[in-house]
Amino acid sequence: MADLGVQFAGIHFRNPVLLASGTCGYGKELQPLADLSRVGGLVSKTITPEPRAGNRPPRIVETPAGMLNSIGLQNPGLEGFIRDQWPFLSGLDTRVVVNIAAPTAEQHGEMAARLEALSGIAALEVNISSPNMKDGGMLFGCNPAAAAEVIGAVRRVTRLPVIAKLTPNVTDIATVARAVEEAGADGISLINTLLGMAIDVERRRPVLGNITGGLSGPAIKPVALAMVWKVRRAVKLPLMGLGGISTTADALEFILAGATAVQVGTATFFNPGAAVEITQGLDAYCQRHGVGRLASLVGVAQV
Amino acid sequence: MLDEQAGVIDNRPVAEGFYQLRLAAPAIAAQAKPGQFASLRVSGQPAPLLRIPLSFAAADPQGGTIELLYETRGPKSSLLSRVQIQQTLPCLGPLGRGFGRPAPGQKVVLVGGGIGLPPLLFLGDWLRQRGHAEVALLAGARSAAKHLPGDLLRAAAPQVRLATDDGSLGHAGFVTDLLDEELAAAPGALVCACGPHGMMAAVAARCRRAGAACQVSLEEYMACGFGVCVGCVVEAAVETAGPYSRYRKVCVDGPVFDAAQVRWEED
Repeated sequence: MADLGVQFAGIHFRNPVLLASGTCGYGKELQPLADLSRVGGLVSKTITPEPRAGNRPPRIVETPAGMLNSIGLQNPGLEGFIRDQWPFLSGLDTRVVVNIAAPTAEQHGEMAARLEALSGIAALEVNISSPNMKDGGMLFGCNPAAAAEVIGAVRRVTRLPVIAKLTPNVTDIATVARAVEEAGADGISLINTLLGMAIDVERRRPVLGNITGGLSGPAIKPVALAMVWKVRRAVKLPLMGLGGISTTADALEFILAGATAVQVGTATFFNPGAAVEITQGLDAYCQRHGVGRLASLVGVAQV
Repeated sequence: MLDEQAGVIDNRPVAEGFYQLRLAAPAIAAQAKPGQFASLRVSGQPAPLLRIPLSFAAADPQGGTIELLYETRGPKSSLLSRVQIQQTLPCLGPLGRGFGRPAPGQKVVLVGGGIGLPPLLFLGDWLRQRGHAEVALLAGARSAAKHLPGDLLRAAAPQVRLATDDGSLGHAGFVTDLLDEELAAAPGALVCACGPHGMMAAVAARCRRAGAACQVSLEEYMACGFGVCVGCVVEAAVETAGPYSRYRKVCVDGPVFDAAQVRWEED
Protein backbone atom coordinates (compact mmCIF):
# COMPACT_ATOMS: atom_id res chain seq x y z
CA MET A 1 0.00 0.00 0.00
CA ALA A 2 1.24 3.46 -0.94
CA ASP A 3 1.69 6.22 1.60
CA LEU A 4 -1.35 8.45 1.02
CA GLY A 5 -0.64 10.74 3.97
CA VAL A 6 -0.25 14.47 3.41
CA GLN A 7 0.82 17.42 5.53
CA PHE A 8 -1.48 20.39 5.11
CA ALA A 9 -0.84 23.58 7.07
CA GLY A 10 0.88 21.56 9.77
CA ILE A 11 -1.91 18.97 10.01
CA HIS A 12 -1.26 15.38 9.05
CA PHE A 13 -4.11 13.77 7.12
CA ARG A 14 -3.92 9.99 6.63
CA ASN A 15 -5.04 10.57 3.06
CA PRO A 16 -5.82 13.71 1.07
CA VAL A 17 -9.55 13.10 0.58
CA LEU A 18 -11.91 15.13 2.76
CA LEU A 19 -15.66 15.48 2.73
CA ALA A 20 -16.67 19.01 1.77
CA SER A 21 -18.67 21.32 3.99
CA GLY A 22 -22.42 21.14 3.45
CA THR A 23 -22.29 17.67 1.95
CA CYS A 24 -21.62 15.55 5.03
CA GLY A 25 -23.74 17.34 7.62
CA TYR A 26 -22.20 17.00 11.05
CA GLY A 27 -20.98 13.46 10.39
CA LYS A 28 -23.86 11.64 12.04
CA GLU A 29 -26.07 11.56 8.96
CA LEU A 30 -23.44 10.05 6.69
CA GLN A 31 -21.84 7.59 9.08
CA PRO A 32 -24.22 4.69 8.33
CA LEU A 33 -23.31 4.91 4.63
CA ALA A 34 -19.60 5.74 4.60
CA ASP A 35 -16.75 4.57 6.81
CA LEU A 36 -15.51 7.93 8.03
CA SER A 37 -12.37 6.35 9.48
CA ARG A 38 -11.24 5.81 5.90
CA VAL A 39 -11.34 9.40 4.67
CA GLY A 40 -8.71 12.01 5.42
CA GLY A 41 -11.21 14.18 7.22
CA LEU A 42 -14.49 15.97 7.05
CA VAL A 43 -15.41 19.61 6.95
CA SER A 44 -18.55 20.21 8.98
CA LYS A 45 -21.49 22.16 7.61
CA THR A 46 -21.12 25.93 7.98
CA ILE A 47 -22.10 27.32 11.35
CA THR A 48 -22.95 30.96 12.00
CA PRO A 49 -22.97 32.87 15.31
CA GLU A 50 -26.74 32.49 15.67
CA PRO A 51 -29.05 29.71 14.42
CA ARG A 52 -30.35 30.18 10.88
CA ALA A 53 -33.56 28.96 9.27
CA GLY A 54 -32.11 28.91 5.77
CA ASN A 55 -33.82 29.96 2.54
CA ARG A 56 -37.34 29.18 1.46
CA PRO A 57 -37.76 26.08 -0.72
CA PRO A 58 -37.36 24.87 -3.39
CA ARG A 59 -33.67 24.79 -2.56
CA ILE A 60 -32.41 22.19 -5.02
CA VAL A 61 -32.64 21.69 -8.76
CA GLU A 62 -30.66 19.39 -10.99
CA THR A 63 -28.93 20.91 -14.03
CA PRO A 64 -26.83 19.26 -16.76
CA ALA A 65 -24.06 17.32 -14.95
CA GLY A 66 -24.63 19.44 -11.89
CA MET A 67 -27.08 20.91 -9.45
CA LEU A 68 -28.03 24.24 -7.98
CA ASN A 69 -28.58 24.71 -4.26
CA SER A 70 -29.82 27.65 -2.27
CA ILE A 71 -29.89 26.13 1.21
CA GLY A 72 -28.88 29.41 2.82
CA LEU A 73 -26.77 28.01 5.66
CA GLN A 74 -29.55 26.42 7.72
CA ASN A 75 -27.62 25.61 10.89
CA PRO A 76 -28.03 25.38 14.67
CA GLY A 77 -25.69 28.29 15.41
CA LEU A 78 -22.37 28.22 17.24
CA GLU A 79 -23.68 27.22 20.66
CA GLY A 80 -26.13 24.67 19.23
CA PHE A 81 -23.25 23.16 17.28
CA ILE A 82 -21.03 22.94 20.35
CA ARG A 83 -23.83 21.46 22.46
CA ASP A 84 -25.50 19.06 20.00
CA GLN A 85 -23.02 18.27 17.22
CA TRP A 86 -19.49 18.57 18.54
CA PRO A 87 -19.67 15.64 21.01
CA PHE A 88 -20.33 13.24 18.12
CA LEU A 89 -17.92 14.90 15.71
CA SER A 90 -15.08 14.97 18.21
CA GLY A 91 -15.45 11.22 18.76
CA LEU A 92 -14.94 10.34 15.11
CA ASP A 93 -11.78 8.63 14.02
CA THR A 94 -11.02 11.28 11.43
CA ARG A 95 -9.79 14.87 11.23
CA VAL A 96 -12.57 17.40 11.66
CA VAL A 97 -12.30 20.84 10.08
CA VAL A 98 -14.96 23.24 11.36
CA ASN A 99 -16.41 25.62 8.78
CA ILE A 100 -17.61 29.04 9.99
CA ALA A 101 -19.32 32.11 8.53
CA ALA A 102 -20.60 35.35 10.05
CA PRO A 103 -21.98 38.73 9.01
CA THR A 104 -18.93 40.74 10.17
CA ALA A 105 -15.17 40.24 10.41
CA GLU A 106 -15.38 40.80 14.15
CA GLN A 107 -17.98 38.04 14.58
CA HIS A 108 -15.76 35.64 12.64
CA GLY A 109 -13.10 36.38 15.25
CA GLU A 110 -15.54 35.81 18.11
CA MET A 111 -16.54 32.45 16.69
CA ALA A 112 -12.93 31.40 16.25
CA ALA A 113 -12.11 32.43 19.82
CA ARG A 114 -15.03 30.40 21.16
CA LEU A 115 -14.05 27.33 19.11
CA GLU A 116 -10.50 27.66 20.42
CA ALA A 117 -11.86 26.37 23.73
CA LEU A 118 -12.80 22.99 22.19
CA SER A 119 -10.16 20.34 21.85
CA GLY A 120 -9.86 18.18 18.79
CA ILE A 121 -10.55 20.64 15.98
CA ALA A 122 -8.03 20.06 13.19
CA ALA A 123 -8.51 23.46 11.54
CA LEU A 124 -11.02 26.20 10.84
CA GLU A 125 -12.31 26.72 7.33
CA VAL A 126 -13.65 30.22 6.86
CA ASN A 127 -16.55 30.41 4.42
CA ILE A 128 -16.07 33.74 2.70
CA SER A 129 -17.64 32.31 -0.41
CA SER A 130 -21.25 31.21 0.05
CA PRO A 131 -23.41 32.64 -2.75
CA ASN A 132 -26.51 32.05 -0.59
CA MET A 133 -25.66 34.33 2.32
CA LYS A 134 -27.01 37.85 1.95
CA ASP A 135 -25.06 39.21 4.93
CA GLY A 136 -21.65 37.65 4.43
CA GLY A 137 -20.04 34.75 2.62
CA MET A 138 -19.37 35.74 -0.97
CA LEU A 139 -19.71 39.44 -0.09
CA PHE A 140 -16.37 39.11 1.72
CA GLY A 141 -14.77 36.71 -0.73
CA CYS A 142 -15.45 38.98 -3.73
CA ASN A 143 -13.41 41.78 -2.28
CA PRO A 144 -9.71 41.21 -1.49
CA ALA A 145 -9.65 43.80 1.30
CA ALA A 146 -12.79 42.42 2.96
CA ALA A 147 -11.50 38.86 2.60
CA ALA A 148 -8.24 39.87 4.27
CA GLU A 149 -10.09 41.62 7.07
CA VAL A 150 -12.09 38.47 7.91
CA ILE A 151 -9.07 36.17 7.75
CA GLY A 152 -7.04 38.64 9.82
CA ALA A 153 -9.73 38.75 12.50
CA VAL A 154 -9.70 34.95 12.77
CA ARG A 155 -5.91 34.74 12.60
CA ARG A 156 -5.45 37.09 15.55
CA VAL A 157 -7.51 34.96 17.97
CA THR A 158 -6.65 31.37 17.14
CA ARG A 159 -3.69 29.03 17.04
CA LEU A 160 -5.66 26.60 14.88
CA PRO A 161 -4.75 26.42 11.21
CA VAL A 162 -6.96 28.85 9.28
CA ILE A 163 -8.16 27.84 5.83
CA ALA A 164 -9.87 30.44 3.64
CA LYS A 165 -12.53 29.01 1.35
CA LEU A 166 -12.69 31.09 -1.81
CA THR A 167 -15.44 31.85 -4.28
CA PRO A 168 -14.99 31.46 -8.04
CA ASN A 169 -17.40 34.35 -8.62
CA VAL A 170 -14.63 36.93 -8.94
CA THR A 171 -12.67 38.62 -11.70
CA ASP A 172 -9.32 37.33 -10.50
CA ILE A 173 -9.19 34.66 -7.82
CA ALA A 174 -5.40 34.98 -7.56
CA THR A 175 -5.77 38.51 -6.15
CA VAL A 176 -8.08 37.25 -3.40
CA ALA A 177 -5.73 34.32 -2.72
CA ARG A 178 -2.79 36.68 -2.25
CA ALA A 179 -4.87 38.89 0.04
CA VAL A 180 -5.76 36.02 2.39
CA GLU A 181 -2.18 34.77 2.34
CA GLU A 182 -0.95 38.17 3.47
CA ALA A 183 -3.68 38.27 6.13
CA GLY A 184 -2.27 35.14 7.73
CA ALA A 185 -4.22 32.20 6.29
CA ASP A 186 -2.49 28.83 6.58
CA GLY A 187 -4.22 27.30 3.59
CA ILE A 188 -6.83 27.90 0.92
CA SER A 189 -9.71 25.72 -0.19
CA LEU A 190 -11.20 26.40 -3.58
CA ILE A 191 -13.73 26.59 -5.10
CA ASN A 192 -17.13 27.18 -3.54
CA THR A 193 -20.12 27.04 -5.89
CA LEU A 194 -20.64 29.15 -8.98
CA LEU A 195 -23.63 31.48 -8.94
CA GLY A 196 -26.38 30.17 -11.17
CA MET A 197 -30.12 29.93 -11.74
CA ALA A 198 -32.81 27.90 -13.48
CA ILE A 199 -36.26 28.89 -14.74
CA ASP A 200 -39.33 26.66 -14.89
CA VAL A 201 -40.66 27.38 -18.38
CA GLU A 202 -44.11 25.92 -17.72
CA ARG A 203 -44.70 28.11 -14.68
CA ARG A 204 -42.53 30.93 -16.09
CA ARG A 205 -40.70 31.63 -12.89
CA PRO A 206 -37.37 30.80 -11.22
CA VAL A 207 -37.20 27.26 -9.84
CA LEU A 208 -35.37 28.13 -6.65
CA GLY A 209 -37.23 29.92 -3.87
CA ASN A 210 -34.15 32.10 -3.48
CA ILE A 211 -34.10 32.73 -7.29
CA THR A 212 -30.33 32.12 -7.56
CA GLY A 213 -28.18 29.39 -6.07
CA GLY A 214 -24.77 27.80 -6.23
CA LEU A 215 -23.81 25.41 -9.03
CA SER A 216 -21.86 22.30 -8.06
CA GLY A 217 -21.08 18.87 -9.45
CA PRO A 218 -19.09 17.58 -12.44
CA ALA A 219 -20.19 20.58 -14.54
CA ILE A 220 -17.89 22.90 -12.57
CA LYS A 221 -14.82 20.67 -12.39
CA PRO A 222 -12.87 22.24 -15.29
CA VAL A 223 -13.49 25.72 -13.84
CA ALA A 224 -12.30 24.65 -10.40
CA LEU A 225 -9.23 22.94 -11.81
CA ALA A 226 -8.19 26.03 -13.76
CA MET A 227 -8.54 28.11 -10.62
CA VAL A 228 -6.40 25.71 -8.57
CA TRP A 229 -3.78 25.88 -11.32
CA LYS A 230 -3.87 29.66 -11.30
CA VAL A 231 -3.80 30.07 -7.51
CA ARG A 232 -0.97 27.52 -7.23
CA ARG A 233 1.15 29.99 -9.15
CA ALA A 234 0.04 33.00 -7.10
CA VAL A 235 0.62 31.87 -3.50
CA LYS A 236 2.83 29.57 -1.44
CA LEU A 237 -0.01 28.30 0.78
CA PRO A 238 -1.17 24.69 0.54
CA LEU A 239 -4.39 24.25 -1.41
CA MET A 240 -7.44 22.04 -0.94
CA GLY A 241 -9.04 21.54 -4.33
CA LEU A 242 -12.75 21.01 -4.73
CA GLY A 243 -15.42 21.44 -7.34
CA GLY A 244 -17.09 18.47 -9.02
CA ILE A 245 -14.68 15.77 -7.84
CA SER A 246 -16.51 12.45 -8.29
CA THR A 247 -13.82 9.95 -9.31
CA THR A 248 -10.22 9.04 -8.58
CA ALA A 249 -9.13 10.65 -11.84
CA ASP A 250 -10.85 13.88 -10.85
CA ALA A 251 -9.00 13.92 -7.53
CA LEU A 252 -5.70 13.21 -9.27
CA GLU A 253 -6.22 16.10 -11.67
CA PHE A 254 -6.49 18.50 -8.75
CA ILE A 255 -3.45 16.99 -7.01
CA LEU A 256 -1.38 17.15 -10.17
CA ALA A 257 -2.50 20.77 -10.65
CA GLY A 258 -1.13 21.64 -7.22
CA ALA A 259 -3.72 20.76 -4.58
CA THR A 260 -2.20 19.11 -1.50
CA ALA A 261 -5.62 17.75 -0.55
CA VAL A 262 -9.05 17.53 -2.13
CA GLN A 263 -12.64 17.65 -0.98
CA VAL A 264 -15.47 15.53 -2.31
CA GLY A 265 -18.82 17.31 -2.21
CA THR A 266 -21.80 16.80 -4.47
CA ALA A 267 -20.64 13.28 -5.41
CA THR A 268 -21.53 12.12 -1.89
CA PHE A 269 -25.18 12.97 -2.62
CA PHE A 270 -25.50 10.42 -5.40
CA ASN A 271 -22.77 8.06 -4.18
CA PRO A 272 -22.34 8.19 -0.38
CA GLY A 273 -19.22 6.03 -0.66
CA ALA A 274 -17.53 8.25 -3.28
CA ALA A 275 -14.81 9.66 -0.99
CA VAL A 276 -13.86 6.23 0.36
CA GLU A 277 -13.77 4.82 -3.18
CA ILE A 278 -11.48 7.66 -4.25
CA THR A 279 -9.00 6.89 -1.45
CA GLN A 280 -8.90 3.29 -2.68
CA GLY A 281 -8.49 4.49 -6.24
CA LEU A 282 -5.58 6.75 -5.29
CA ASP A 283 -3.82 3.81 -3.67
CA ALA A 284 -4.35 1.69 -6.77
CA TYR A 285 -3.04 4.50 -8.98
CA CYS A 286 0.10 4.85 -6.87
CA GLN A 287 0.75 1.14 -7.03
CA ARG A 288 0.16 1.03 -10.77
CA HIS A 289 2.61 3.89 -11.33
CA GLY A 290 5.19 2.90 -8.74
CA VAL A 291 4.52 5.99 -6.64
CA GLY A 292 5.60 5.43 -3.03
CA ARG A 293 4.24 8.67 -1.60
CA LEU A 294 1.15 10.29 -3.04
CA ALA A 295 2.36 13.66 -1.74
CA SER A 296 5.16 13.54 -4.29
CA LEU A 297 2.55 14.06 -7.03
CA VAL A 298 1.34 17.43 -5.78
CA GLY A 299 1.72 20.01 -8.52
CA VAL A 300 3.85 17.86 -10.80
CA ALA A 301 1.75 18.56 -13.89
CA GLN A 302 4.03 21.08 -15.55
CA VAL A 303 4.15 22.70 -18.92
CA MET B 1 -30.24 2.50 5.76
CA LEU B 2 -28.35 0.45 3.19
CA ASP B 3 -26.81 0.94 -0.24
CA GLU B 4 -27.69 -2.28 -2.01
CA GLN B 5 -27.20 -3.44 -5.60
CA ALA B 6 -30.79 -4.17 -6.56
CA GLY B 7 -31.55 -6.58 -9.38
CA VAL B 8 -34.37 -5.71 -11.76
CA ILE B 9 -37.01 -8.46 -11.79
CA ASP B 10 -39.71 -6.62 -13.68
CA ASN B 11 -40.23 -3.15 -15.14
CA ARG B 12 -43.49 -2.66 -17.04
CA PRO B 13 -46.09 -0.02 -17.87
CA VAL B 14 -49.27 -0.36 -15.79
CA ALA B 15 -51.19 2.78 -16.79
CA GLU B 16 -50.69 5.74 -19.13
CA GLY B 17 -47.22 7.00 -18.20
CA PHE B 18 -46.96 4.80 -15.10
CA TYR B 19 -44.51 1.95 -14.59
CA GLN B 20 -44.18 -0.80 -12.02
CA LEU B 21 -40.63 -1.77 -11.06
CA ARG B 22 -39.85 -4.86 -9.00
CA LEU B 23 -36.38 -5.24 -7.55
CA ALA B 24 -34.53 -7.96 -5.70
CA ALA B 25 -33.15 -6.10 -2.68
CA PRO B 26 -33.36 -8.50 0.28
CA ALA B 27 -31.68 -6.32 2.91
CA ILE B 28 -33.88 -3.32 2.13
CA ALA B 29 -37.02 -5.45 1.75
CA ALA B 30 -36.46 -6.80 5.25
CA GLN B 31 -36.66 -3.31 6.76
CA ALA B 32 -38.97 -1.27 4.49
CA LYS B 33 -42.08 0.23 6.11
CA PRO B 34 -45.03 2.00 4.43
CA GLY B 35 -44.21 5.65 3.76
CA GLN B 36 -40.48 5.08 3.56
CA PHE B 37 -38.66 5.38 0.26
CA ALA B 38 -35.72 4.17 -1.79
CA SER B 39 -33.31 6.21 -3.85
CA LEU B 40 -32.15 4.71 -7.15
CA ARG B 41 -29.17 5.61 -9.27
CA VAL B 42 -30.39 5.18 -12.83
CA SER B 43 -27.21 5.88 -14.72
CA GLY B 44 -23.56 6.43 -14.20
CA GLN B 45 -22.79 10.08 -13.64
CA PRO B 46 -22.42 12.78 -14.80
CA ALA B 47 -25.97 12.92 -16.17
CA PRO B 48 -28.49 12.45 -14.78
CA LEU B 49 -26.48 13.32 -11.71
CA LEU B 50 -28.73 12.73 -8.74
CA ARG B 51 -30.67 9.67 -7.68
CA ILE B 52 -34.41 9.32 -8.06
CA PRO B 53 -36.32 8.95 -4.78
CA LEU B 54 -39.39 6.68 -4.95
CA SER B 55 -41.73 5.55 -2.18
CA PHE B 56 -42.12 1.84 -1.66
CA ALA B 57 -45.34 0.52 -3.21
CA ALA B 58 -44.73 -2.89 -1.65
CA ALA B 59 -42.06 -4.87 0.13
CA ASP B 60 -41.86 -8.61 0.59
CA PRO B 61 -39.40 -9.48 3.36
CA GLN B 62 -39.75 -13.23 2.70
CA GLY B 63 -39.22 -12.97 -1.04
CA GLY B 64 -36.58 -10.25 -0.66
CA THR B 65 -38.23 -7.94 -3.16
CA ILE B 66 -39.43 -4.35 -3.23
CA GLU B 67 -41.84 -2.72 -5.64
CA LEU B 68 -41.81 0.88 -6.84
CA LEU B 69 -44.37 2.65 -9.03
CA TYR B 70 -43.31 5.72 -10.94
CA GLU B 71 -44.55 8.17 -13.53
CA THR B 72 -42.33 9.05 -16.49
CA ARG B 73 -42.11 12.81 -16.20
CA GLY B 74 -38.42 13.69 -16.47
CA PRO B 75 -35.06 12.43 -17.71
CA LYS B 76 -34.46 10.09 -14.77
CA SER B 77 -37.85 8.40 -14.79
CA SER B 78 -37.70 8.09 -18.59
CA LEU B 79 -34.31 6.43 -18.29
CA LEU B 80 -35.65 4.19 -15.54
CA SER B 81 -38.50 3.06 -17.81
CA ARG B 82 -35.89 1.66 -20.23
CA VAL B 83 -34.06 -0.37 -17.58
CA GLN B 84 -34.04 -4.06 -18.49
CA ILE B 85 -34.69 -7.18 -16.45
CA GLN B 86 -31.51 -8.54 -14.80
CA GLN B 87 -29.80 -5.15 -14.77
CA THR B 88 -28.72 -3.94 -11.34
CA LEU B 89 -29.24 -0.49 -9.88
CA PRO B 90 -27.61 1.01 -6.78
CA CYS B 91 -30.51 1.36 -4.36
CA LEU B 92 -30.37 3.27 -1.10
CA GLY B 93 -32.99 2.51 1.51
CA PRO B 94 -35.12 2.33 3.44
CA LEU B 95 -35.03 6.11 3.86
CA GLY B 96 -37.17 8.46 5.92
CA ARG B 97 -39.96 8.00 8.40
CA GLY B 98 -43.14 6.24 7.39
CA PHE B 99 -46.77 6.34 8.44
CA GLY B 100 -47.80 6.10 12.07
CA ARG B 101 -50.05 3.22 13.08
CA PRO B 102 -53.83 3.68 13.52
CA ALA B 103 -55.47 2.79 16.82
CA PRO B 104 -57.03 -0.70 16.89
CA GLY B 105 -60.35 -0.55 15.05
CA GLN B 106 -59.84 3.04 13.89
CA LYS B 107 -61.12 3.72 10.39
CA VAL B 108 -58.27 4.52 8.00
CA VAL B 109 -58.96 6.60 4.89
CA LEU B 110 -56.20 6.54 2.28
CA VAL B 111 -56.39 9.51 -0.08
CA GLY B 112 -54.16 9.40 -3.13
CA GLY B 113 -53.84 11.54 -6.21
CA GLY B 114 -51.90 10.51 -9.34
CA ILE B 115 -48.48 9.18 -8.53
CA GLY B 116 -49.09 9.75 -4.82
CA LEU B 117 -50.77 6.35 -4.58
CA PRO B 118 -47.81 3.94 -4.17
CA PRO B 119 -47.07 4.50 -0.46
CA LEU B 120 -50.80 4.20 0.27
CA LEU B 121 -51.00 0.86 -1.54
CA PHE B 122 -48.17 -0.39 0.67
CA LEU B 123 -49.85 0.98 3.79
CA GLY B 124 -53.20 -0.59 2.89
CA ASP B 125 -51.62 -3.98 2.30
CA TRP B 126 -49.57 -3.66 5.51
CA LEU B 127 -52.71 -2.93 7.53
CA ARG B 128 -54.61 -5.79 5.89
CA GLN B 129 -51.81 -8.22 6.75
CA ARG B 130 -52.08 -7.07 10.35
CA GLY B 131 -55.81 -7.66 10.44
CA HIS B 132 -56.85 -4.02 10.24
CA ALA B 133 -60.09 -4.28 8.26
CA GLU B 134 -61.49 -0.74 8.33
CA VAL B 135 -59.62 0.75 5.38
CA ALA B 136 -60.98 2.82 2.49
CA LEU B 137 -58.93 3.96 -0.48
CA LEU B 138 -59.93 7.10 -2.34
CA ALA B 139 -57.96 7.40 -5.57
CA GLY B 140 -57.98 10.42 -7.86
CA ALA B 141 -56.51 10.81 -11.33
CA ARG B 142 -56.82 13.14 -14.30
CA SER B 143 -58.55 10.49 -16.42
CA ALA B 144 -59.46 6.78 -16.52
CA ALA B 145 -56.29 5.99 -18.49
CA LYS B 146 -54.20 7.54 -15.71
CA HIS B 147 -55.66 5.27 -13.03
CA LEU B 148 -53.60 2.39 -11.76
CA PRO B 149 -55.10 -1.05 -12.51
CA GLY B 150 -58.05 -2.01 -10.33
CA ASP B 151 -56.36 -5.15 -8.98
CA LEU B 152 -53.49 -3.07 -7.58
CA LEU B 153 -55.93 -0.72 -5.89
CA ARG B 154 -58.23 -3.44 -4.55
CA ALA B 155 -55.27 -5.26 -3.00
CA ALA B 156 -54.75 -2.24 -0.78
CA ALA B 157 -58.23 -1.80 0.65
CA PRO B 158 -61.55 -3.62 0.85
CA GLN B 159 -63.30 -0.40 -0.16
CA VAL B 160 -62.02 1.53 -3.18
CA ARG B 161 -63.57 4.71 -4.58
CA LEU B 162 -62.31 6.44 -7.70
CA ALA B 163 -62.49 9.98 -8.97
CA THR B 164 -61.36 11.54 -12.24
CA ASP B 165 -60.97 15.19 -13.17
CA ASP B 166 -62.63 14.57 -16.55
CA GLY B 167 -65.36 12.25 -15.25
CA SER B 168 -64.19 9.33 -17.39
CA LEU B 169 -64.21 6.98 -14.39
CA GLY B 170 -65.86 7.09 -10.97
CA HIS B 171 -66.76 10.38 -9.34
CA ALA B 172 -66.41 13.36 -11.68
CA GLY B 173 -64.36 15.81 -9.66
CA PHE B 174 -61.79 15.87 -6.95
CA VAL B 175 -60.95 13.04 -4.63
CA THR B 176 -61.47 15.46 -1.76
CA ASP B 177 -65.22 15.45 -2.51
CA LEU B 178 -65.18 11.75 -1.62
CA LEU B 179 -63.20 12.50 1.52
CA ASP B 180 -65.95 14.82 2.74
CA GLU B 181 -68.40 11.92 2.62
CA GLU B 182 -66.01 9.58 4.43
CA LEU B 183 -65.32 12.11 7.17
CA ALA B 184 -69.03 12.71 7.65
CA ALA B 185 -69.53 8.97 8.15
CA ALA B 186 -66.41 8.40 10.27
CA PRO B 187 -65.26 11.63 11.95
CA GLY B 188 -62.70 9.80 14.10
CA ALA B 189 -60.88 8.39 11.07
CA LEU B 190 -57.15 8.53 10.46
CA VAL B 191 -56.55 10.05 7.04
CA CYS B 192 -53.32 9.23 5.21
CA ALA B 193 -52.72 11.26 2.05
CA CYS B 194 -50.20 11.47 -0.74
CA GLY B 195 -50.50 13.35 -4.00
CA PRO B 196 -50.04 16.78 -5.55
CA HIS B 197 -49.32 19.51 -3.02
CA GLY B 198 -52.62 21.27 -3.63
CA MET B 199 -54.56 18.07 -3.04
CA MET B 200 -52.76 17.43 0.24
CA ALA B 201 -53.34 21.01 1.39
CA ALA B 202 -57.05 20.52 0.69
CA VAL B 203 -57.08 17.18 2.52
CA ALA B 204 -55.27 18.72 5.50
CA ALA B 205 -57.75 21.61 5.65
CA ARG B 206 -60.76 19.27 5.54
CA CYS B 207 -59.31 17.04 8.26
CA ARG B 208 -58.56 20.04 10.44
CA ARG B 209 -62.15 21.24 10.12
CA ALA B 210 -63.51 17.76 10.81
CA GLY B 211 -61.12 17.17 13.69
CA ALA B 212 -59.71 14.06 12.01
CA ALA B 213 -56.07 13.01 12.37
CA CYS B 214 -54.16 13.43 9.11
CA GLN B 215 -50.77 12.23 7.95
CA VAL B 216 -49.33 13.41 4.66
CA SER B 217 -46.43 12.03 2.65
CA LEU B 218 -44.64 15.01 1.08
CA GLU B 219 -42.37 15.42 -1.91
CA GLU B 220 -39.62 17.99 -2.48
CA TYR B 221 -36.60 18.29 -4.73
CA MET B 222 -34.00 16.09 -3.09
CA ALA B 223 -30.26 15.84 -3.64
CA CYS B 224 -29.08 13.22 -1.15
CA GLY B 225 -32.10 11.59 0.53
CA PHE B 226 -30.34 10.99 3.84
CA GLY B 227 -30.17 14.35 5.54
CA VAL B 228 -26.86 15.94 4.58
CA CYS B 229 -27.81 18.38 1.83
CA VAL B 230 -30.72 20.05 3.67
CA GLY B 231 -32.33 20.74 0.32
CA CYS B 232 -35.72 19.01 0.59
CA VAL B 233 -37.30 21.07 3.31
CA VAL B 234 -40.87 21.91 4.21
CA GLU B 235 -41.90 24.80 6.43
CA ALA B 236 -43.15 23.78 9.86
CA ALA B 237 -46.45 25.16 11.20
CA VAL B 238 -44.62 26.59 14.20
CA GLU B 239 -40.98 27.14 15.13
CA THR B 240 -40.73 24.86 18.14
CA ALA B 241 -37.11 25.66 18.90
CA GLY B 242 -36.06 28.89 17.19
CA PRO B 243 -35.20 29.56 13.55
CA TYR B 244 -33.29 26.29 13.11
CA SER B 245 -36.60 24.42 13.51
CA ARG B 246 -38.48 26.46 10.87
CA TYR B 247 -37.73 24.09 8.02
CA ARG B 248 -37.85 20.32 8.38
CA LYS B 249 -36.17 17.83 6.08
CA VAL B 250 -38.59 15.76 4.01
CA CYS B 251 -36.00 12.98 3.66
CA VAL B 252 -35.30 12.27 7.34
CA ASP B 253 -37.95 14.12 9.37
CA GLY B 254 -40.53 12.87 6.82
CA PRO B 255 -41.57 12.16 4.16
CA VAL B 256 -44.63 11.43 6.32
CA PHE B 257 -45.64 14.33 8.54
CA ASP B 258 -48.59 15.03 10.78
CA ALA B 259 -50.50 17.51 8.59
CA ALA B 260 -50.95 19.81 11.59
CA GLN B 261 -47.18 20.25 11.83
CA VAL B 262 -46.87 21.55 8.26
CA ARG B 263 -47.43 25.17 7.19
CA TRP B 264 -49.81 25.06 4.23
CA GLU B 265 -49.85 27.92 1.76
CA GLU B 266 -53.34 29.15 2.59
CA ASP B 267 -52.55 29.26 6.34
